[in-house]
Amino acid sequence: MKDFRNSWLKYATIGIGVLLAAFIVILLTLIVTRPTLEALITSITSNEIQFAITLSLLTSLTSTFFCIIIGVPAAYALARYSFRGKNVVNALLDMPLALPPLVAGLGLLLFFGTTSFGRGLADIGLVFVFTPLGIIAAQFFVNIPFMIRIMRSTFESISPRYEYVAKTLGCTDAQALWRVTLPMSATGFFAGSVITWAKGIGEFGAALLLAGAIKWKTETLPIALFLNMSCGNLNMAISAATILIIISLAALYIFERYGGASRF
Amino acid sequence: MLQIDNISKDMGEFVLRNVTLDIDRGEYLVIIGPTGAGKTILLETIAGIYPPDSGTITLDGRDITGLPPRERNICVVYQDYMLFTHLSVEENIGFGLVSRKMNKDEIRKRVVEAAELLSIDHLLHRSPDTLSGGEQQRTAIARAIVMDPVLLLLDEPLSALDGQTRVMLQKELRRLHKRYRITVVHVTHNFEEVFALADRVAVMHDGDIVQCGHPDEVFRKPASEFVANFTGVENIFRGTCTPQDGASAITADGLRIISATCNGEGEVYATVRPEDILISREPVTSSARNSFQGTITDIVNNGMVIKVTVDAGIPLVSVLTRQGYDHLQLKEGEEVYLTFKASAVHVF
Repeated sequence: MKDFRNSWLKYATIGIGVLLAAFIVILLTLIVTRPTLEALITSITSNEIQFAITLSLLTSLTSTFFCIIIGVPAAYALARYSFRGKNVVNALLDMPLALPPLVAGLGLLLFFGTTSFGRGLADIGLVFVFTPLGIIAAQFFVNIPFMIRIMRSTFESISPRYEYVAKTLGCTDAQALWRVTLPMSATGFFAGSVITWAKGIGEFGAALLLAGAIKWKTETLPIALFLNMSCGNLNMAISAATILIIISLAALYIFERYGGASRF
Repeated sequence: MLQIDNISKDMGEFVLRNVTLDIDRGEYLVIIGPTGAGKTILLETIAGIYPPDSGTITLDGRDITGLPPRERNICVVYQDYMLFTHLSVEENIGFGLVSRKMNKDEIRKRVVEAAELLSIDHLLHRSPDTLSGGEQQRTAIARAIVMDPVLLLLDEPLSALDGQTRVMLQKELRRLHKRYRITVVHVTHNFEEVFALADRVAVMHDGDIVQCGHPDEVFRKPASEFVANFTGVENIFRGTCTPQDGASAITADGLRIISATCNGEGEVYATVRPEDILISREPVTSSARNSFQGTITDIVNNGMVIKVTVDAGIPLVSVLTRQGYDHLQLKEGEEVYLTFKASAVHVF
């Protein structure tokens, strides 16, 4: 009893943490145990969910690819060089994190739908409004800050002296980056890609505004969940949710396992 | 061979101010100075990592000031090794040869040679993070010398190592330099490395080289108060060491000083702490092996202790307590005797 009185703070705070964890487990269990296993399998193998899975995978992998080729160089610059306005650029690149995805989606819709640049893209066949391309653009815009933050802290954790040594050993600036810094940041890169991909799969708000919720056209897993829920098709909605839960768990595991050193 | 002429560089936290320094082929130059003196940027500027704000660097008569590092063939070894963790020890050592697009068999051959030289040939397949500090630094040194550099820059290469490993690697550096006559610039804040390795020493302070010369000259004749305070070593002398009666005799300017700590022969630096030197008016009969007659040239009263400088062929400083000084009643110009044990003579 004396022990309890001395450390009530310890037990109270631990209690809060454990209760919250239990609550999350209850929610997830409620979702996946709602339909019978048979009904769940039938829904998951249905053509509509199969379409949603395929579309989600294609769009998220494509948007992750673009997050990598744009985010990695930007993160490198922010970690290595000092330049005028760096702080402002840093803050602006984090902006999509704080912005509600719906607002981001509205901005993207206006950009691709009303500006002459957007119309120019549409003229050469790159139509973003209400198409799967729009899903990719929405995922890219909302998730690029994750890639940049993880890669920036990864590059910052690697001393520039590794590159100095590489340069004295015959490398150009670009070779030093390619042969030394990039391979040494492999775990951060892997963790960043996985988190970006997992966030992309779950992206809903911005994609809804730019690409719309069109059955058999822009129906990703979250959109499938939303559409089926709206028309009372609970089993289909839950099957989409179940797949999203599995992907989240896998991404979280990979991130914790390999990306432990990255702060973001 | 390498002329650094009026180099300035402002990096905010660290600066170089009009540094001028000549490095001769085959010499081992040690740069010593307190933290923040600009030693590391000087090395990195020589390596070509940053362009200097002003001044020129000339290598064998060719202006290399604007040349990128890869075209200089100047290699750097850092205090914390900077081994590429994604590569094996073998790939680390061969890294620069790959840049030179040498064929695989030739690379393998040279890497093994360099590894044997540093006694790490049994570690070639290992990953750098499984090695001890000493082994990692040997790998970093091998990675540099396999390039056959015109100049090897060492940035506090021994500072991260524990005592015994440090002494071992220090000997190794001396051996490598003796055998291959590599031109070395070695930055440190450890005096022992100066005496053990340096042909010449340069003292750096506040972004500039304040004195440069033979170690005994710099330590015995500091050119400024900063150098005197920073070096702060008294009774340092250089001489030839020869074995004698189970101990060694060091001949410095005609004076034969017996040392119990000298092993080996040849040119050495040695010091005696002033408090280990006994001063007397008459010769003292004792077990101490060193006894010299000399003339008092200087007496400095520091309040607590009195510093007496005696010219016994080389200047030797002894310190006395106030009571001892009052008792002896010493004056400048008087003849006295100095006595100290062979074990008090510390050899580098």
